[in-house]
Amino acid sequence: MNGWLLAATVVLGGGLGATLWGVATGPLRRRVVAQNLSTAPACTGLILLAQGYDRPAYVDLALVLALLGPVGTLVFARLLTDELADDPPRARGVTWAAAALAAAVVLALCVAVGPSRATAKLLLVGALLIGGNVIASRALSGGIAGVRGG
Amino acid sequence: MNPRTRLGLVAVGGTGLAVLLVAASLRLPDFGGDSHPYGDRAVRESLARHTANTIASVNFDQRAFDTLGEMTILFAAVVGCVVLLRQTRDEHRARPEPADVAPPVRRYALIVLPIALATGLYVIAHGQLSPGGGFQGGVVAATALHLLSLGADYRALERIRPVGLYEVGDAVSASAYVVTGLAGLVGGTAFLANTLLPYGTFNTLSSGGTVPLLNAAVGMEVACAVVVLLARFLDQAVEIEEESGK
Amino acid sequence: MADAVIVVALLLVAGSATVAVLVRDPVRQALVLAVLGVVLAVLFTAVQAPDVALSQLAVGGALTPLLLLLAVRKVKRRKGRER
Repeated sequence: MNGWLLAATVVLGGGLGATLWGVATGPLRRRVVAQNLSTAPACTGLILLAQGYDRPAYVDLALVLALLGPVGTLVFARLLTDELADDPPRARGVTWAAAALAAAVVLALCVAVGPSRATAKLLLVGALLIGGNVIASRALSGGIAGVRGG
Repeated sequence: MNPRTRLGLVAVGGTGLAVLLVAASLRLPDFGGDSHPYGDRAVRESLARHTANTIASVNFDQRAFDTLGEMTILFAAVVGCVVLLRQTRDEHRARPEPADVAPPVRRYALIVLPIALATGLYVIAHGQLSPGGGFQGGVVAATALHLLSLGADYRALERIRPVGLYEVGDAVSASAYVVTGLAGLVGGTAFLANTLLPYGTFNTLSSGGTVPLLNAAVGMEVACAVVVLLARFLDQAVEIEEESGK
Repeated sequence: MADAVIVVALLLVAGSATVAVLVRDPVRQALVLAVLGVVLAVLFTAVQAPDVALSQLAVGGALTPLLLLLAVRKVKRRKGRER
């Protein structure tokens, strides 16, 4: 077992365990935040697994998750606007913590891989993940105001 | 049947199932062992046909007929959905109200839309080389189009999405899969046999014979199917209303 | 020791699947299902089945929640009309 797999195990166990707890209990506003935050540890975990198994092609999984995870949260934000309007979720701290985790992992991997096409892909995944997470978090806390219809 | 007998029945059935499952898993080969009779043969065949991703070789070459069945299931499911969720006589369409989207979300959707579309096409095109293929890429591409409905509103999506065209695309790509199979038959071997095209250089985009073609057909079929499916659901949830008094 | 990732992923799948069954409100269930999809994808990756994991991510990421929430919205609208 190499260090990358160990890091993946810790990130996945800790991060996804915490989001599972968040999504299983509490009011709706806490659950949507937990769903949004599940993307970041899963995505970084997948990158770490790809590096740990020495299979660069597995980064495609992280790429798809970084693209579609925030889109899923935006779907929730759009279709649950009415339910979330009364007490909007506030999750600035955890959102930036998740973004910092993603940035740290992506940078560490970029250093390990060295400049190549794989690095560009990793940076793209990182940018999409962090950007998507922050935007989706803002959308949940009332970034989309007064939406009706579809 | 009162609740108690029902619960008892479930308990009996559940216990039986549990016993059978445990008995079956005791006879399974050990987890992570090194004897893989099917895997070894599948890998040998896929390497012989210059397909780097063995899964793609199994799906679209060695067992392409199974994939034809799976594709038909999706096609039939979408046809059923279209029939069930159509607008009936006592329903009318209400114009969806324009949505007011915050600028950062709009910018995000408009930036990510082309990236997601390109990723979908990339996953389809690299199906024979890396994890992925027609189904996965098709779903990603179709989801990408719906970012327009998140970033702007449903009416913006309707403008670029003529559902009729996607229904035709769904049928055409499903037939393209069958036609590729028939070409193998006409070419002198068997239905869906991968013998017509040169196998190409290993680990390049054009390797694998008919695998990339079938991947592309499935990708287009799935993308069109998902768009049609979501169009029906969105219509029902956003536009179609029952007449008042019903 | 090398199987620690698989054990963690299996535990997460078992946990989130149980929660998905225990939660009764369809909207909250959709949220749990979204997380379950991600966790399943991690499990598939850990047992070296990236193609299946990619299918799971593609379908579970945005498509399943969207279909579920649209169905819930339609049912709710009809109920509101009947009241």
